[in-house]
Amino acid sequence: MKKLLKYSLLLVSVTLLFTACKKEYLFGVDDVDVVQNSASKNNVKTTTEFVSIAYSDIYGSTIPQAYLTKLSLAYLAFGDKKLVEDIIIKNMLAAPGVQLPTQQAMLADVDLFVKNTYKKFYNREPGEFELWKMKQLIQADQTITPELIYYAFLTSDEYRYY
Amino acid sequence: MKRRNFLKTTGLAAAGVIAAPYILPSGRLFAASGNRKANHVVFCLFAGGVRNFESIQKAEGNIMPNMLVGNESISPDIAGAIPNLPIGGQRLQTQGTLFKEFRYAQGPTGHYNGHTTAITGRYNDVDLNLKSNPEYPTIFELYRKHNSPGQTALNAWWVSNQLGPYPALNYSKFPGYGADYGANYVQPTTMFDPNIGTVMGNPKQFSQAELAKASGYRDFLNNNFANQYTSGDAGVVNTAEDNYNLQQFLKGTYTDVAQGSLNNPWGIGQQNMNGDCYNILFAEKIIQQYKPELMVVNMQGVDIAHTNFTEYCANMRIADYAVWHLWQTIQSTPGMANDTILIIAPEHGRNLQANSIVDAYGRYALDHTSDQKSREIFCMVVGPPSVVNQNQVISAVQGESIDIVPTIADILGFASEIPGEAALPGSTLQAAFV
Repeated sequence: MKKLLKYSLLLVSVTLLFTACKKEYLFGVDDVDVVQNSASKNNVKTTTEFVSIAYSDIYGSTIPQAYLTKLSLAYLAFGDKKLVEDIIIKNMLAAPGVQLPTQQAMLADVDLFVKNTYKKFYNREPGEFELWKMKQLIQADQTITPELIYYAFLTSDEYRYY
Repeated sequence: MKRRNFLKTTGLAAAGVIAAPYILPSGRLFAASGNRKANHVVFCLFAGGVRNFESIQKAEGNIMPNMLVGNESISPDIAGAIPNLPIGGQRLQTQGTLFKEFRYAQGPTGHYNGHTTAITGRYNDVDLNLKSNPEYPTIFELYRKHNSPGQTALNAWWVSNQLGPYPALNYSKFPGYGADYGANYVQPTTMFDPNIGTVMGNPKQFSQAELAKASGYRDFLNNNFANQYTSGDAGVVNTAEDNYNLQQFLKGTYTDVAQGSLNNPWGIGQQNMNGDCYNILFAEKIIQQYKPELMVVNMQGVDIAHTNFTEYCANMRIADYAVWHLWQTIQSTPGMANDTILIIAPEHGRNLQANSIVDAYGRYALDHTSDQKSREIFCMVVGPPSVVNQNQVISAVQGESIDIVPTIADILGFASEIPGEAALPGSTLQAAFV
């Protein structure tokens, strides 16, 4: 009987202990943009990915299927893929509907333009050196246009990787 | 100056003069590594599976009157279906050597196998693998790697009339070779299709100064990124200068297509301008623009033989005219005229036994499934009289498909530079040459 009482008391104590310790925690997390570090980009985009992403970046809309089919054929039909891509990008930049900041807007806030351009095409922030150098390049030659800078990004090595 | 020093100085100067590069009559800065027979080779893979019966044996008459000597009339039952195309002046046969019993000796008589053999100089039994480059170096890589001095890809072209596996034949996956030494590849009837022109033919025209500025930015961006998108992943990458040059050429061709100036460029009627003709036409444009040292161009229109024998013969007649036109273009292009050797050979033949498909003229169709007849082909080597034996016919069984690559290497003077690991199993077609 004594033993039974002892175990009953122990059981009640443990139950009380656990229920008394139960506490809920709520964690608050700030919104974070998930961006990719350039060092982790080791995979070459497929031709379909490249063309589709470039179209979206240039026009702000999804590439039409017929357009994609034509470009995919052009890709197959010429051996120098870099050359084909250069022509594709130039054709896209020449067509109506290109979403470009004005030169005035770019020069009014070069810092913002550079950051936005890196985010748009590389899905990441520029590093400190990249930001400084790009600003220096733009400010040193204010005849440079956003279109030419976009063209440089779109035909750069990093843009071909993810 | 002391006598010893004088002798040393003059001796070095004399040695320098002897060893220094000099401009050759052909415009080359350096002498090639070996003795060249000619400075240009065009290899035409003729027609997509041609049986000796209908070609050089003329079983249906002389269907190839621009290539072959003879005026044998076409079989009456199909004569009306054969295009009445011009017959030029001197037949190609008289301007070179015809091997009447050439052989595609081993491996499946499939188009891709035949093309791969012709371009690598090795028989193979690979299955069609749409994304696979050949195992062994192509003639383009052998040329670009071992010819001295090395040439850019503008000097090596592979012009094919179909996509499928053919784009992969411009370079191999053989260690030490690959895209760095590959050929420029183009499939013109797709590339210059008017529909493709709507998305490729109107590029933004940046000025040279603008391109230089963009290049400066791109260089900075590339220098801050670890990976390089270059030869291999990006196919065969041309130099910046050649890239610019090529873009101007492509733009001009798109303009020609858009303006309709290529609708009937040879004056033989649009109905006769089939894919083979257009493939040869664009090959000619490349020849006129770049005067490449090495070009391989194919035709495959006769493959209609699987379902239509008469059309097979009709397309052979068109292919004959196209090759003649190609030779006229070569001979009228300064820099290539009288300095080019044209090699013509089908990739394989066709079966002895017909299949069960009958065409409108009551003729049975022909497949190619590795029977002995499908291994029997011809080869024609055409070139300047000082280099190629003229009007020579070799009727004995002599020469095979794997001999064409070493023959090209010999013509361009780099055969002896090919190292052991890439050594070719075939032999030069010596009988063709003076």
